[in-house]
Amino acid sequence: MLFSQLITKLIQDTTEKSLPLFGVELCLCVTIVLMLLVRLFSADRVLPACITAVVGAAAALTCSWLQYRELFAQSAPVSTELFTGLLIHDNFTVYFRAFLSLFLLLTVALTSLTGIPDEEDGPDFYSLLFGATLGMMLMASSNSLLMLFIAVEMASVPSYAMVGFLKGQKSASEGALKYVVYGAGAAGVMLYGISLVAGTLGTADMSLLSERLAAVAADGSGGLGDPELRTFALGLLMILAGLAFKLSLVPFHFWCPDAFEGASAEVAGFLSIASKAGAFALLVRLCISMAGAEGAETLLTAFGVGLGVISIITMTLGNLAAYGQDNLKRLLAYSTIAHAGYMVMAVSAMVVMLSDTAAGDVSRSVASAMEGLLYYLFVYLFMNLGAFAVIALVRNHTYGETIGDVRGLISQAPVLCVVMLVCFFSLVGLPPFGGFVGKFFIFAAVFNAGSSHSFMYVLLAFGCLNTVFSLFYYIRVLKTMFLETRDEDARPVPVQFASWESAFVLTLAGFVILLGVAPYVMSTTANSAAQALVMLQ
Amino acid sequence: MIAGLQAYLLVGAVLFVCGVICMATKRNGIGVLMGVELVLNGANVNFIAFSKYTALGLDAQIFALFVIVLAAAEAAVALAIALNFYNNHLTIDVDKANRLKG
Repeated sequence: MLFSQLITKLIQDTTEKSLPLFGVELCLCVTIVLMLLVRLFSADRVLPACITAVVGAAAALTCSWLQYRELFAQSAPVSTELFTGLLIHDNFTVYFRAFLSLFLLLTVALTSLTGIPDEEDGPDFYSLLFGATLGMMLMASSNSLLMLFIAVEMASVPSYAMVGFLKGQKSASEGALKYVVYGAGAAGVMLYGISLVAGTLGTADMSLLSERLAAVAADGSGGLGDPELRTFALGLLMILAGLAFKLSLVPFHFWCPDAFEGASAEVAGFLSIASKAGAFALLVRLCISMAGAEGAETLLTAFGVGLGVISIITMTLGNLAAYGQDNLKRLLAYSTIAHAGYMVMAVSAMVVMLSDTAAGDVSRSVASAMEGLLYYLFVYLFMNLGAFAVIALVRNHTYGETIGDVRGLISQAPVLCVVMLVCFFSLVGLPPFGGFVGKFFIFAAVFNAGSSHSFMYVLLAFGCLNTVFSLFYYIRVLKTMFLETRDEDARPVPVQFASWESAFVLTLAGFVILLGVAPYVMSTTANSAAQALVMLQ
Repeated sequence: MIAGLQAYLLVGAVLFVCGVICMATKRNGIGVLMGVELVLNGANVNFIAFSKYTALGLDAQIFALFVIVLAAAEAAVALAIALNFYNNHLTIDVDKANRLKG
């Protein structure tokens, strides 16, 4: 083929096929450029950055809603490769795009209510926020190991800067330094792992991974005695280390409490939800792309059980460490770690079921495990953001974020207390809140996977035990809020019932309850996103 | 003598291990970031070697180019954060970053 023909074909592919399906990401890009341009022409007095940000996030949400309507209306799952196979566009991608743009809109709304970036810093802050979200969307849609790395870096680098955004504060700069040092190290190790995996398999395309892995396994002895397979396993372990850092799994969780305590509550909420969602999407894509490689089943089963072990350690450590915390953001950071552990349970169950050769057709049960993960993430968005929003609103009045600052809050801001109650009970997993349904889905999937590998029953037992453990530290905060009397010298928190702040947090709490009493609202969507990924494999 | 794939991978592995040791032992924040650069470049050596000897081909070279750019972007942000830390604490020793713990 002539060079000019190649270029013409590439341009045609990009403009006619890829760019129209890339609308959500383009909305974010345009918003970033607009915000910086507005500042350049000093029009930011007329048009504050938060307005541009709200409009941009709403545009992205509308765009992803349209994509959602178009894709989920079709009976069979669709998948299109974009940009010469670097990205993939399917129901799973669209689910995460919609999830992330909804979350972006809510975060922007929260920051404009609490005013954490002042007018001077607004454009910078929102550019970083939009840039990080863009990276997370690419994480959810990446179909190549190159995109995997670029997307992870694109999500991480703005996050480092956002943690250190409160410039004068010692704790903010310390949190940011720890985050960037750990993060850069994890990214380096992950890149080395990617080089090993891509080198041994001879491809960076994730849709070819299982095929090439089977070829490599067929060449050698198939077990870990085969040097090529051993190199692959080492590389996979290193990639997992990089993803585990983003998910704050033990032993890569050290940054999480420090970064959350240093960052403002809004940023901590963003990191705990969005970056986790992106990393889970990537982890699931990676696991699915390796599944079904003949001859490597023992390796993959070991990988799944290994994920289960990490999950047990992560949730136990997160829940135990949360007990002694006095700072609410730190407490929620450990709770975030524990929740990452619960969610990894689903991925572990999925991998174990996929690599079980005796089971026959497992696509239905794998899809239901993934449905559990997607549902849990969706509920987690509302319940965790609600908790962080309450902390941010209290901080604006008391200038503190410790348990002492919310003592006896019921007498001054009953709305915030009730929202905190809903969010915390949902985080524990009590019915009738959304967290219960999400946890139920995941536990059921792990129980299903028990027939493939008996370790899954151990995992399930630890999951249940941890749910009981976690009850106590959440209750401790709620008891302080509801049953104790407010200190005489404590600063008042005058949040009225009829105010934007109350409306915002009540909406979040409303969704948490809705997802608990009417699971079918989301579970069908989550299921068809999950089906798309499993069926097309 | 023409060096084979293994020789290049060995260089990459040595760079990687040096980088990891540097990250783990250096107490100076800038030193830790230098360790990260070593790790990234160890991976880059791997990519270029794989590009010559395996089916990965040009993909690997594109990979290496992107890594160079991303490393620069990451270093810029990391140095800015290190400077901010220095302004607040008057030191760049990562052991002195001990206010947040528990």
